[in-house]
Amino acid sequence: MSNRKEFSRRSFIQLAGGVGAVLVLGSFSSLACADADAKAGLKKKGVVFEPNALVSVEPDGTVTVTIIAPDAGQGSRTALAMIVADEMDVDWHKVKVTQAPANQSRYGYQGIGGSNTIRAMYGELRKIGATSRMMLVSAAAKTWEMDAATLKTANGHVVSADGKKSIGYGELTAIASTLAVPTAGVELKSADHFKLIGKGATRIDNPDVTTGKAMYGLDVKVPGMVYAVIERPPAFGAKVKSIDDGDAKKVDGVINVFEIPSGVAVVAKNTWAALSARQALKVDWDLGPNAELNSAKISSQMKAAVKDHMEMPAGSKVVESSLEFPFLSHATMEPMNAVADVQADHCTIWAGTQQPTGAQGRVCSLLKLAPEKVTINVMLLGGGFGRRLSDDYIVDAVNVSKAIKMPVKVMWTRDDDMRHDNYRPACYSSFKGAVDNAGNPTGWSHQAIQSGMARPPGPFGASGLSYNIPNSGQIHGAVRVPVPTGAWRSVENTLLNVANECYMDELAHAAGQDPFEFRKKLLTDERLLKVLEVAAEKADWKKPLPQGHGRGIACFRGYGSYAAHVIEVSVTGNKIKLHRAICVVDCGMAVNPKGVEAQMQGACTDGLSTALRAAITIDKGGVVEKNWPDFGWMTLDAMPNVEVTILQNADHPGGMGEVGYPSVAPAVANAVFAATGKRVRKFPIKVSELV
Amino acid sequence: MALIKININGKDRSVDVAPDMPLLWVLRDVLDLTGSKFGCGIGACGACTVLVDGNEQQSCQLPVSQIGHKKVTTIEGLSKDGNHPLQKAWIEHDVPQCGYCQAGQIMAAAALLKKNPHPTDADIDDVFAGHICRCGTYQRIREAIKAASGSAK
Repeated sequence: MSNRKEFSRRSFIQLAGGVGAVLVLGSFSSLACADADAKAGLKKKGVVFEPNALVSVEPDGTVTVTIIAPDAGQGSRTALAMIVADEMDVDWHKVKVTQAPANQSRYGYQGIGGSNTIRAMYGELRKIGATSRMMLVSAAAKTWEMDAATLKTANGHVVSADGKKSIGYGELTAIASTLAVPTAGVELKSADHFKLIGKGATRIDNPDVTTGKAMYGLDVKVPGMVYAVIERPPAFGAKVKSIDDGDAKKVDGVINVFEIPSGVAVVAKNTWAALSARQALKVDWDLGPNAELNSAKISSQMKAAVKDHMEMPAGSKVVESSLEFPFLSHATMEPMNAVADVQADHCTIWAGTQQPTGAQGRVCSLLKLAPEKVTINVMLLGGGFGRRLSDDYIVDAVNVSKAIKMPVKVMWTRDDDMRHDNYRPACYSSFKGAVDNAGNPTGWSHQAIQSGMARPPGPFGASGLSYNIPNSGQIHGAVRVPVPTGAWRSVENTLLNVANECYMDELAHAAGQDPFEFRKKLLTDERLLKVLEVAAEKADWKKPLPQGHGRGIACFRGYGSYAAHVIEVSVTGNKIKLHRAICVVDCGMAVNPKGVEAQMQGACTDGLSTALRAAITIDKGGVVEKNWPDFGWMTLDAMPNVEVTILQNADHPGGMGEVGYPSVAPAVANAVFAATGKRVRKFPIKVSELV
Repeated sequence: MALIKININGKDRSVDVAPDMPLLWVLRDVLDLTGSKFGCGIGACGACTVLVDGNEQQSCQLPVSQIGHKKVTTIEGLSKDGNHPLQKAWIEHDVPQCGYCQAGQIMAAAALLKKNPHPTDADIDDVFAGHICRCGTYQRIREAIKAASGSAK
């Protein structure tokens, strides 16, 4: 590209958070950073104004925001663009987004995890938008020979103080491009002047999604591409003994069958031929050392790892309890897949990934290539939930493409996906606590023993509780079992907060107190207290319910945000029916309230699904569940009305991807107790297993 | 392989594929119509839903050789410019999250409204018990169907 200058001229601004650790707010002339890969497809008619790595303004006034965070449905492409557009004072209908490929030197770390996207980038994106706006104002001032300080902006135009002169941003691109990027004097809007932030916009990808044009990893097709599926081991750690591919190779369209590290690859001219050939393939497996592993053994191991609890103060009423959690699959709607084109000195990947720069590093090390030789094109993600932090599916595609020297799409079937995930660890929580005669808690000991292959968590000294309880402590231990585990929406909070909030209910009951009032008097964090109070109020907490119905309450603080839930159920025979779900969240500034509402509804669906239905079971060293009918997920017909309340304020945005999950399942379990007088000791909840 | 004629979105197409190839893979791999998604391969999630003679059909379960003269409509052919009342309602109610299942949801809703222009909650429940949205957009799916049912033909 002719107008490209050396990247070394950039100045980098370090961000506090994890995502987008380096963003570019250039101290270079505005044409310096036209990155061919990021801006591919952008038609250039006349001068395009590019004040920094993320913004470009075309002569027709279109503003394109480069999105460095993948969108897995959390709405980053919409919300991040809104932040820039608001500070730029640009008409939202003139805003487009383009997804950045992996480029660590240009954008810093790119990845979505820890509910970090907006809270890490909010401040910097506002500065980027405001700086871009300031340069356009300066360009108008220069054109009109007026004092820039007197000019205003609105809807993508610079307007003179008397309102007589108005010029579109698109008409200013040539002059703006000659100006130096200001390093001082950039003013951010005050919150009361926001037009988009806190107000909400519909998703920028909606028109493409609703017409089938949106491109996910599985939709990619490149010239000369072939298709592959992998026959994977039936047990974790199983090895191929022998392959009989006689029948598989007879299938019309099959190209090759060969072993790769994750199994046996079947390559064909189309997906159906690959699937049909895999069906005909016979692989003899050495099941290896884990062939006898099952969920019952794992459960026993976890229980055996519980140590003696600390002593409770004399004279208190002691309450002992436990709660067991299964492994969970991420089960994204779009199964794992990637397209790879490995060539002698270059590799191109097309994939939905939660961590583009991490995936790039992995491919670089696999192929011994420098980062500039590995292109990671980031497609829309058909769900993430932590699953696409792993790059095993990208590694598959690289291995197959490298072997056959052709571009290939590797697709995991639903079975592959469900049986070869990095699962939410199973866990056994053991509690011992106590309350005194006045109904005050006097001790709290929690041992959470999780199982899996993940790095065992360090033992926590403090309880991690949001409640003011003396003599409290928590041990987060682990038993190592050969089931691959990883991050699952809200990670350890799917276990610890769920367990704590269930046990909190038991303590309240032992103290003879209302579970809401009991929590209320022990909470010290005002924002957490507020969401809890609003949830109780919205749920008519004190209003009596019919026989067989019950309400449960729970709360959570994390990722810079606060949530509380009240769930109402009824129990008839063995059936638990959901009636209402009250969700309250305080995430500071809700940049896109529609997105926040969607995250709360989605997290609630996850909470209800995992409270009542979904579990991954291990038998004979592998996963039993193969497809949706085995891994019960909530469908529309089973959902209660989910009522979301957002406590909007002007604080720095908190994370939203995960905060809505950890208080749903305990609210369900506590509601089941309220309805039946019986406790949940194991998830998913079965009425027959209540005690 | 066999040369098979099918009518997709009002156009006659001729495809040279295995007769047992499900319609889903004909659409996606052969005709480059990738709006219909693969989600389970057993007709359990609804991501691949299309219309066959106006009826809801999970395209992963229909061998291409069984289509015959029936007319297939995919999300790409639901309307000319994305202006079907359901598509408009989906945008207005901001239904999609990751969006992967939404073509299937919209096609199922289109089949429902064709038969039953003013569905009750129970009618919607019946159809959508067979459709999974892993992001949990259910409430907005219901709202959008109700909004569109005022104007859908």
